[in-house]
Amino acid sequence: MANAIECFNLTKRFPGCVALNEVSLAIPKGQIIGLLGPNGSGKTTLIKIVNGLLTPTAGEILVEGKHPGVETKKAVSYLPERSYLNDWMSVNEMINFFGDFYSDFNKAKAYDMLQRLNINPKDRLKTMSKGTKEKVQLILVMSREAELYVLDEPIGGVDPAARDYILDTIISNYSENAAMLISTHLITDVEKILDGVVFIDRGSIVLSATVDEIREKENKSVDALFREVFKC
Amino acid sequence: MLGRLMKYEIKATGRIFLPLYGLILAFAGLNRLFMYFNLQKKSDFLPNFVSGISMLVYILLVAAAFVITLVVTVQRFRKNLLGDEGYLSFTLPVAVHSHIDSKMIVSLMWSVLSTVVALLSVAILAIGSGLYREIASGWDSVRDFFSQYGASGWGCVVSIVVLLLAAQLSGILSLYVSVVVGNLSGRHKRLAGFGTFLGIGVIAQVVFFSFANTSGVFQSYHDVPLDSVAQMRALSTDCLILAVFCAAFGVAFYFLTDWMLSRKLNLE
Repeated sequence: MANAIECFNLTKRFPGCVALNEVSLAIPKGQIIGLLGPNGSGKTTLIKIVNGLLTPTAGEILVEGKHPGVETKKAVSYLPERSYLNDWMSVNEMINFFGDFYSDFNKAKAYDMLQRLNINPKDRLKTMSKGTKEKVQLILVMSREAELYVLDEPIGGVDPAARDYILDTIISNYSENAAMLISTHLITDVEKILDGVVFIDRGSIVLSATVDEIREKENKSVDALFREVFKC
Repeated sequence: MLGRLMKYEIKATGRIFLPLYGLILAFAGLNRLFMYFNLQKKSDFLPNFVSGISMLVYILLVAAAFVITLVVTVQRFRKNLLGDEGYLSFTLPVAVHSHIDSKMIVSLMWSVLSTVVALLSVAILAIGSGLYREIASGWDSVRDFFSQYGASGWGCVVSIVVLLLAAQLSGILSLYVSVVVGNLSGRHKRLAGFGTFLGIGVIAQVVFFSFANTSGVFQSYHDVPLDSVAQMRALSTDCLILAVFCAAFGVAFYFLTDWMLSRKLNLE
């Protein structure tokens, strides 16, 4: 099976709005795909459906060939756009928590990354700044040897100096067979690690292409194309 | 996976309950000491005042244990599943019902433990007061009770325990279903949740009383002589009918909560 995510006419309606409108999409394995679009375009809705946090109104979605459920949750490593950590735990306890629930969690990798970013594993999450919490969360998510990584705004609250290290970490920590879906506004920062992009606007896919195609055909960077497509 | 969920559930809630239990037992001991000293010599103002305050703190702590059991049951469910932590809880590779199971079992555990600790603290207060002699003599009447009623006496005790457990579990589940319904309604989540809880209470009462009035199941005592084995049997039967009634509501709450968390979940 070549695709990590497959959507067929996926639709999600909320009272008074259509968040996703008959989206059909395939995210191939072994690629890093940017899910790009303005605020409220449906990025997070799509990501939540992939992770089983929302059920679609119509259409079908397959993650690693299965409908979202316990089995797909074993295979997907998900970074939400907000802090989901238990405040009262220390980083050590959080690492044990991940180790207890995810069999693909690599503790050595997590401790190594914590050391590189000067985070003390004994610190409680309550005492940490928002940016540090985001780093911890990203480290936890990237320390899994998952088949699919779904990162919602992974570097939004992190300082520019740490961004490069984090992007390097993302690239060096994911295996060739794994796929990655990254949603972000910081296109310039992330562009260099992307293989392909999906532009989404008001619940519909407006463009799906590889970064090379965009550079060759349009002779533009992804960032420039984004500004053109979504011009206000 | 249920075991692991329960382990973290106990960790998360134990950091509230264990210190509270420690305080209750410590204040029970302290109050016992004050009583001892007050009996030794004529009291003057200060120790009296201090012992009064210490007794008040003890009583408030015991009351708090039961209120906190209720509050933690609701808060933990709401925060861990429907708040930001829900993003982690619901992406763990465990079935939705395991979350309900683990929270329900641990909540029941704290309710039982709070009762045990409260009784234990009373036992500490009663050291040397002659209560233990009373209990020892009371034990004889307990033995008399069981020799008089035999199996039906035991049956009665077991059905009362079953009823208490069923009532407590369905109570916990009614809180869960109220929180979830409240969370589904757009604005005023807490108000909607509280309204649901009251509504459930009213419906349960109406259903119960119309059942009791029409079926006549709880009338069985009237025909049998008091202090008889038949009376014991009638009491056990009534307790078990009530337990089944609670369990039926509990099962409905459980599946409704599970269905809504699986199908209607919409984290903010």
